Amino acid sequence: MSSRRSRQSSAGVSRISDDQIIELVSKLRQLLPEIRDRRSDKVSASKVLQETCNYIRSLHREVDDLSERLSQLLATIDADSAEAAIIRSLIM
Amino acid sequence: MRPHSSLKQEFLKKWIMGLQRCSFSKKNMSILERRKTIKFSADIAMASARNGTTCWSRALISNASKDGSNNHHLVKQMLGPESNRPTVAANIAPTRRALVCKKIVKQSRRIRRRRRKCVATSSIAKHLVRKRTQILKSLIPGGELMKIRLIEETLDYIASLIVQVDVMRSLARASEP
Repeated sequence: MSSRRSRQSSAGVSRISDDQIIELVSKLRQLLPEIRDRRSDKVSASKVLQETCNYIRSLHREVDDLSERLSQLLATIDADSAEAAIIRSLIM
Repeated sequence: MRPHSSLKQEFLKKWIMGLQRCSFSKKNMSILERRKTIKFSADIAMASARNGTTCWSRALISNASKDGSNNHHLVKQMLGPESNRPTVAANIAPTRRALVCKKIVKQSRRIRRRRRKCVATSSIAKHLVRKRTQILKSLIPGGELMKIRLIEETLDYIASLIVQVDVMRSLARASEP
């Protein structure tokens, strides 16, 4: 895999190769519901990049929302509190 | 690609430890402060779980350490002194192999240019790819510095974000009254 990468480098921004696109698409397909149903040969690089950016942005938003929610739910992480017991059971 | 449970555990451990070290249990912390601490420690934990093996994780930690004295202090509390941390500089400069590849690509570009027939649609597509790649780079920590590893780093970053969201969601669900 590393030899393939060395042959097709992305020296500038527009140099992302077809192989890398196919690789990205197949991996993203498992992550992104939008791309899942499309045939690989029809997906354009720009569309994949767009979906990727949208997905990252939505994940960022989810982290922000969850931080908000957690800040209201978790008053403290005291050693003896109920939350600590929950957390301990999550880690085990 | 399901998030590996080991990565989840790694993240959770580091996050909880980080929260404790940030004196999260201060009773008089405002909600805003608490939210910032939660998000900040979650990001640091996510990056630290990669143990310096990816560019984005090193960049995230390094950026957090720069941003004003308060964050710098928090990062130190969470991760220990900087001597223990992997540096950002590693692997960012283009390797020799990368430079050779750039040369080959430049030469083949020159050859290809002469053979090009239809310019319009391909140049629009190229423009879109270029523009969207710039956007992608702005979303990933340290993205501006990446060229060859952008795709790889993107996938790893997305996988780590998914782990982060999963763990935070489970904790929120578990803490609900």
